[in-house]
Amino acid sequence: MENEPLNPSKSSARHGVDPSWAAAEMRLSPRQCCAALVITAVLFYVLPHAWERIEPLQIGAGYRIPYRLGNDYWQYERTCRAAAGGDQTLLVGDSVIWGHYVSTRGTLSHYLNEQAGSERFVNLGVDGVHPAAMAGLVEYYGGAIRGRRVIVNCNLLWTSSPRHDLSATKEATFNHSALVPQFSPWIPCYRASLSQRVGAVAGRRLPILGWADHLRIAYFDSEDLATWTLERPYRNPLGALNAALPSPDEPPSPPPDARPWTAKGITEFTPDWVPLDESLQWRFFQRTVRLLRERGNQVFVVVGPFNEHMLTEAGQRGYARQKHQVAEWLAEEGVSHCVPPPLASELYADASHPTAAGYAQLARLLAEQPAFTDFCGQ
Amino acid sequence: MLFHTWTFLLFFAVFYPVYLLIKGTRLKLPWLLTASYVFYGWWNPVYLILIVWATLVDYLAVVGMARTRWKKPWLVLSLLNNLSLLGFFKYGRFVVENLNSLAAWLGLPWTLGDPDVRFLSDAVNSLLYGCGIDHTVPAFSYLLPVGISFYVFQSMSYTIDYYRGNVAFEPNFVRYATFVSLFPQLVAGPIERASNLLPQLHGTPQITRDDVSDGGFLFVVGLFKKVALADYLARYVDPIYASPGDYQAAALALATVAFAWQIYFDFSGYTDMARGIGRMMGIRLMLNFYHPYLATGLGDFWQRWHISLSTWFKDYVYIPLGGNRHGEVATYRNMVLTMLISGLWHGAMWTFVIWGAVHAAGRVLTRALEGTPFYQHRVPKLAKQVLTFLIVCFAWVFFRAQSVGDAWLILRRIASCELADPAIPLLMIGLVLAIWIYQYVWESRLYAVLQRPLVRVALVVGMVVYIATLITASDQAFIYFQF
Repeated sequence: MENEPLNPSKSSARHGVDPSWAAAEMRLSPRQCCAALVITAVLFYVLPHAWERIEPLQIGAGYRIPYRLGNDYWQYERTCRAAAGGDQTLLVGDSVIWGHYVSTRGTLSHYLNEQAGSERFVNLGVDGVHPAAMAGLVEYYGGAIRGRRVIVNCNLLWTSSPRHDLSATKEATFNHSALVPQFSPWIPCYRASLSQRVGAVAGRRLPILGWADHLRIAYFDSEDLATWTLERPYRNPLGALNAALPSPDEPPSPPPDARPWTAKGITEFTPDWVPLDESLQWRFFQRTVRLLRERGNQVFVVVGPFNEHMLTEAGQRGYARQKHQVAEWLAEEGVSHCVPPPLASELYADASHPTAAGYAQLARLLAEQPAFTDFCGQ
Repeated sequence: MLFHTWTFLLFFAVFYPVYLLIKGTRLKLPWLLTASYVFYGWWNPVYLILIVWATLVDYLAVVGMARTRWKKPWLVLSLLNNLSLLGFFKYGRFVVENLNSLAAWLGLPWTLGDPDVRFLSDAVNSLLYGCGIDHTVPAFSYLLPVGISFYVFQSMSYTIDYYRGNVAFEPNFVRYATFVSLFPQLVAGPIERASNLLPQLHGTPQITRDDVSDGGFLFVVGLFKKVALADYLARYVDPIYASPGDYQAAALALATVAFAWQIYFDFSGYTDMARGIGRMMGIRLMLNFYHPYLATGLGDFWQRWHISLSTWFKDYVYIPLGGNRHGEVATYRNMVLTMLISGLWHGAMWTFVIWGAVHAAGRVLTRALEGTPFYQHRVPKLAKQVLTFLIVCFAWVFFRAQSVGDAWLILRRIASCELADPAIPLLMIGLVLAIWIYQYVWESRLYAVLQRPLVRVALVVGMVVYIATLITASDQAFIYFQF
């Protein structure tokens, strides 16, 4: 502040350093610069791959993506690669396929395997993944699913209201927003900032970011490093990286009430069905099916099981219309499909999820469908 | 638009290639100005009204000075306009609140209304509605527009320098407007002088490979400081300073030290990024921080901390007041006044004024001591650095506290020495310690170690990998934006 010449780096000047530079300035020669860029690029490529060798992933009997890793798309991609390595049929869909109310021994894939007498079906369902997110999941992370038999679940719950359909204009938060299109087609209720949108797009393109998310989700309780260390100030973060993934049997948090819907006091309702020709979710579902077929997969679509018992008469009429249109489109496109009859009322835990007994029943119903047996026999 | 967001990356990815293509043409300045206004208007387009107004009035003042013999009235016009902008937008509420408190204390039966500037955004919205445009701009909050203290000082320095005959008249308005609003340093400095920046806006910038790599890595360092260090430290500091009554001595003391580093990483990180972007554009912005926590005295500290502001105050406040030319008493008076004004520049709160006063008092008390041979030669350097750091931390308590009452509470609790687990992450301590050692080594004889290619490449790679893998997207604004 005084009338002295400003010389902030007397000490550095003494050592022959350019005084206009502070320690913050990493001056690298062009060759060092290239070396830094190459090393960084190599690390970005190598770290996720090296980690795959450190962290074992075994897709054994009854495997499903652990609930805690539902947002871990890097892990999903890895699981797809592992699952697509064999000769199994892959089940793709939302929590109906994943089995929200049931353990790994109560899912549709489990009962299909039981019927087949072998580990033929693999559960690639993800909890909470609606069709818009599913299209993104398959497009960006499901590249390994090629030339396989794929069963896709069509859950019309996602067209049961403009809010579910994401076509409402009022701002809404929803699961897996990083998977939906960020710019086109425009999702009216999705109001992320430009930065979040660009970040989501970058996350799909840079495996290092997905891997970093994986570490955060799998080992740091889905928290960032800062939050994790603030909550555990004296623990070593490296110690948390124990390469032990959560169990597929770990129940959702909070644990869902697995009783039939009738025991929970849920009443009938009339959905505000979104016509399919205006539905965003239906467009995304169509996109998923087309994408899978373009990749040389044989696709079989299971429409439902929707809990029609929970619908009023008007609601049931609307559902019948939606179902009919879906079946019509699938037939037009030449996609094998079936629309199984509704399960018994007490076999549903809510509007679209069966109980374990419901899944067993559904597996039996599928087995009776010629389209399904044809598909499996191919 | 924040430097550490994807939005900025996208903005720069569009801006920079075009800039490189047209840097030698007449389109360079309009492109720079447009980009700067887009960058600034991203917060709130209404803010542009103020920056354009400040630019226009100062430019007219300089044109007036250039064309008439009477320079002083034009300088007064510029100063009045700039200080009115700051006074209204930054200090209006502070003045009104204090006047109302004074009136209540004196038992006077009047109160002044809260100054409100929403009429500006309301006017813009009415205009948009009238034009049939289905869009509304956000309400123009009374809280001061981002960066007003920086660009007002920068613009004002030009009129003062021109009045003094230190800079030449700039006939090109677009160039002048670009000087005021140049986006890398627009919202948080460094506060550039016309004598440094304006000449760099003439002609074709020479951008070498070194400029691009140096600038890029400087940006990486700044990004690391912001997202890996400052934002991390903030997570520890914020809850403690939000309710200091809930914490004991150790946590409060450590939070104060953590804040000292947080504000350094935050502000110097911004400056590094600004300088890095400028460098990539072939523009060299001034050094703003030089390892301030290695200062061996408060005088030294102010030559290392926010250098562009401290030199601004030296040139435009301290020296015009008389500097050290009129004896010891006048020198101390001028130092105290300058520090108090500097405190007030940081914000319209008594805590900032007290922060300035603490620095002024510290400087008055230590100035003579620092000049003694005993202090200079007998006291170990590390002891001087620690002492200076402690004084600076003491002052930061007032800077960071939400009120003067909170600041006293924090100091009382720290003095009580009641110990409880401060729960500060070891990783946080390790990171800060590593930076401190790095800077210490940089200023020591071991400096050459840090200049080894392997070390520098490892540091750069380490920072990039750390940011990519361990940091989640941050939208946390920089602390100095509020000033």
